[in-house]
Amino acid sequence: MRRFSSLAWRSLLARRLRSVLTIAGVGLGVAVLFASLTASATMDAAVDRAAADEMGHADLRVQTLEERGLSPEAVAAVKGVAGVAVAAPALERKTYLAADPNQTASSALPAPVTVLGIDPSVESQVHDMPLSAGRRLDDTDSLSAVVTQTLAAEQHLRIGDSITVNGSVKSGPQAFSVVGIVVGDGALPDAAGRLLFVPLASAATLFDATGVTRVDLTARPGVSADELSRQIEAAIKTEPYLLQKTADTADSLRAQTADYRGTLLLVVAVVLFAGAFLIFNTLSMTVTERAREVGLLRAAGTSRSQVMSFVLLQALVLGAVGSGVGVVAGVGLAALTLAWVSATGPVALSAPDIAPGSVALALLVGVVVTLAASLEPAWRAGRIPPIEALRRGPKGAVAGEARLRWLGLVFGVLALAAVVVWPRAAESSSASTSGGVAGTSGVGGPLMVYALLLFAVLLVPRVLGPLLRLTGIPFRVFRNEERLARSALARDSSRTALTAGAMVIGLAMVVALGAAALNVRQIGAHWLAETIPGTEVLTSIRPVSPTGAVRDQIAAIPGVKSVSPVGLFGVGLGNVRQEAAAIVGRDFASDGRLVFVTNGGDPASAFAALDAGGTVIVPESLATASNIRLGDTLDFTSGQTSTRLRVVGIVAHSIPGDSEEAILVGWSDAVGPFGATGADFFAVRYAAGQEAAARNLVDATALQYALQPENLDRVTGTVGDALDRVFKLLDALALIAVLIAGLGMVNTLSMSVFERAREIGVLRATGMSSRQVWAMVVIEAGSLGVAGALIGTLVGLFVGGLLVALSSGGFDVGFSPPWDSIALAAFFGVVISVTAAVYPAGIASRQSIVQALQHE
Amino acid sequence: MPSVPSPSEARSSGPAVPGRDGTILEAHNLIKTFRLGGRDVTVLHGVSLKVKRGEFVALMGPSGSGKSTLLQLLGGLDRPTSGEVILDGEVVSRLSEGEATRLRRDKTGFVFQFFNLIPLLDVYENVALPFTIAGVDPRRGEAAARIVDVLEMVDLVGCERNRPDQLSAGEQQRVALARALVCRPAILLADEPTGNLDYANSGQILDKLWRSCDERGQTIVLVTHDARAAAHADRVLVIGDGAIRDEIELGRRKEIDPRPLITRLAQLGL
Ligand SMILES: Nc1ncnc2c1ncn2[C@@H]1O[C@H](COP(=O)(O)OP(=O)(O)OP(=O)(O)O)[C@@H](O)[C@H]1O
Ligand SMILES: [Mg+2]
Repeated sequence: MRRFSSLAWRSLLARRLRSVLTIAGVGLGVAVLFASLTASATMDAAVDRAAADEMGHADLRVQTLEERGLSPEAVAAVKGVAGVAVAAPALERKTYLAADPNQTASSALPAPVTVLGIDPSVESQVHDMPLSAGRRLDDTDSLSAVVTQTLAAEQHLRIGDSITVNGSVKSGPQAFSVVGIVVGDGALPDAAGRLLFVPLASAATLFDATGVTRVDLTARPGVSADELSRQIEAAIKTEPYLLQKTADTADSLRAQTADYRGTLLLVVAVVLFAGAFLIFNTLSMTVTERAREVGLLRAAGTSRSQVMSFVLLQALVLGAVGSGVGVVAGVGLAALTLAWVSATGPVALSAPDIAPGSVALALLVGVVVTLAASLEPAWRAGRIPPIEALRRGPKGAVAGEARLRWLGLVFGVLALAAVVVWPRAAESSSASTSGGVAGTSGVGGPLMVYALLLFAVLLVPRVLGPLLRLTGIPFRVFRNEERLARSALARDSSRTALTAGAMVIGLAMVVALGAAALNVRQIGAHWLAETIPGTEVLTSIRPVSPTGAVRDQIAAIPGVKSVSPVGLFGVGLGNVRQEAAAIVGRDFASDGRLVFVTNGGDPASAFAALDAGGTVIVPESLATASNIRLGDTLDFTSGQTSTRLRVVGIVAHSIPGDSEEAILVGWSDAVGPFGATGADFFAVRYAAGQEAAARNLVDATALQYALQPENLDRVTGTVGDALDRVFKLLDALALIAVLIAGLGMVNTLSMSVFERAREIGVLRATGMSSRQVWAMVVIEAGSLGVAGALIGTLVGLFVGGLLVALSSGGFDVGFSPPWDSIALAAFFGVVISVTAAVYPAGIASRQSIVQALQHE
Repeated sequence: MPSVPSPSEARSSGPAVPGRDGTILEAHNLIKTFRLGGRDVTVLHGVSLKVKRGEFVALMGPSGSGKSTLLQLLGGLDRPTSGEVILDGEVVSRLSEGEATRLRRDKTGFVFQFFNLIPLLDVYENVALPFTIAGVDPRRGEAAARIVDVLEMVDLVGCERNRPDQLSAGEQQRVALARALVCRPAILLADEPTGNLDYANSGQILDKLWRSCDERGQTIVLVTHDARAAAHADRVLVIGDGAIRDEIELGRRKEIDPRPLITRLAQLGL
């Protein structure tokens, strides 16, 4: 065995470049894996931390479903529940700081602040509020405030300064004196750091509110959270509310990243796949190259298993060193990944958490994948007969497809293993409306895509031959070199297929991601166009009267056709929170918005009924899920009473809320039984051709009333931009697979040049110039790259189309090819291939003719 | 290469008709030294020779005496450490890389002992290689005519579409010969072309070589161990220890009889 380890070692050293490239390939694969694991773990930790921060020491949170909040009676009832030790009510509102008189009008509103009214006597028992300066609020305070460090820094506030915030129309602005500064952002992710705490009573006066947003509870010793939930449910029956535990909060935050994780899993799998290709190809080449040597060893009495262990040992060394390098590189990659996604994610991310578990897993996967990929070459080496030692001349033909199929099998098994091992991958994510790549499924989607890619790679050998004929065409300018290059590629077609295969899946992934990203954007645009009666929205952070002066004033501007108020609020439907939107049916009818499904009612009468009241229009998704039909009546909990609404319409898509499609009600029901206080945005429709002229005046007027004008395209654009960032990251990771394929190509071409040394010698003796030899090798790589890009694009389009079909949510957006991604894939495919050829081509062209002729 | 013509270059750009006495290939005092493991090994110690147009010259000598090295220098595959090779009026040893490539393409043809062919090209394509490399379409015009002609000469008509691995060793070597001759090179250089062949196949190759010389005036330099092969030549140069030891004039004969040569070589102790 000792002798063999030294033989394996020397074999690796003999082909130093190949070994180094292979290690680099394994390293890149493991780096991506490790970075993903670490980024995931860091995101989990951040989510858990954020959830824990938000819930503090509370065992349970009673969260209102309605804008008006939980009534004082309800709060009293909660406090009276036997199992409750501490009940901390709070009122949360977004508002603006009072305008600085010196400030000039600008085209955008300032960032809002969140005011949290708390009960100073109990809040500290539930939430820690570490201070960096000053003191906490106490019972005697009324117009005092504690601000976060972030807000203090942004507004240049110190202890004793005063801060003026806008209240309700009735109460107007109110000044608070800053008595304390809380460390960091404060524990409310939504506030993005711009948070101030004031006494609950002052907040209630400021916002002219009677209810509270939430009551955080701690249980008496011996009472479990579940028991507490039961007691609360028994105590308050009249108002809609939601009970939340820390874990629920974490889950809802985590759900937002589920799609991203699913896709990341897929990309990691693809990168590892490319890495395995490299290993497989490298060891296959080593075995082929050393066939005679192995034959000699066998003739000298070496056993099969010894020969196999000789190959496996080499794989082990490559895998272990590569994985080690990969983990180190992965730390850097993880930091980059986190920096990149933290700009889009719901929670702030810190430096990567390097868990020993992730290190171990990455190393393990690296080595296992390497060994798995080397099993077949090792087995093949073991089968080399002793007579091989006596063979002279070209090597026998190789059963390329069988090899590939075998590799496919290994990867099928590895994929299954990955599903089991992937941390939290099996966790179900809550349904989300806008799909990421894996929008429709957790692990199932990625797995299916992976299987498709695997299948596509198995097809590569079948299509490559004819395709190379095709892709050589651009290189026909160098007619002879192209012809010779093509025959070089045909020499070992399975090796060529393997080399192209790795590139194909990497590029396919890039194109598929591009298709999915484009589709998500298009769905977003279609969705809003279908459900919003206008091209511009004027949004407010606080409800605005739907019929007040604001609306009238904007509607009176010449060129404005309609201004339609939309209010978003929550209602209780069968004990779950359902998002609802208040709309003016007349506006929707005249603007022709919403698509009614078959047997979903008649638009004109439905909209009229909506304005009349007592009716509701539901989205098809809800109708299907809850088996709702036209004419049904739905019971909603609203305030202390129950409200029955008759279903007058079922629409294909409805206005998107925060996490689901809203049900649609008329304004009379919204402000009446549901207690909605006003519109969250106005949709503005301009008269044909007059948008450009009227736009400026509308925007200026809107800003005066603290309404933020936003073009619909921009709304979808902003969502799209955040998605794009995520997709770009995934693209970058997928391109690492292409890079690995490039390393494989250097190996393959070097080997091919080495094998053909004598042939190249003959060509040179026949009068081929060294430049022609160089061109021949580069063309070999170039046409392989073009072929890879072509197959990759086709496979990517197919996979992308499938993803789109699965996640289009019933929009007939059609399938448009992601030209950007296709261009990117083609560019990288060809550039990486040609770059990979530079070194081997240099070797081939510089080789002395005499030495080449002596090569056997 | 300097752009100012040196005296030798002036000579090389002289009239296409080489040396006054019909010399097409000349070597002057060739010395070739290899660096081997830090030591200089001199393989050729000042070899001079002349080959006349249309002449068939054989180089013989024991293994390791430097025959292949000499042939490579004559064909411009390698450069001498010192000395000059003049082929068809051009000083081979002073050509730039590009000029040497052109010389190989246009003026020399090579045949080696092993693996002469490109495995993935068929017979026709292998023979057409010099044209292909030069960017000439081998399917039409003069090139196509020459390929047909040379294939006829080596008796391979009908095998054009075969791949090298579908041919016998002798046939493969005839393809290599056809490829070397297709451009009508000024000189054909063959390094033990029969070294890997049986008696019958060797005989065929030698016959083709001899006929190309006799019927078409092809100049040939043949390296061989085999007296029977060397007996086809007009003149045999015997090399030993990197220098020409002896020269045996056989003259052009219709009946090839190796016996006088074998006797002569025996006298020389070979
Ligand atoms: N590239 C090289 N580097 C070092 N030594 C070399 C090189 N090429 C040839 N030699 C040496 O030069 C000597 C002559 O070699 P050459 O191949 O010319 O002999 P040869 O006469 O053709 O022999 P054979 O009949 O066996 O083919 C040998 O000793 C050989 O080892
Ligand atoms: Mg020799």
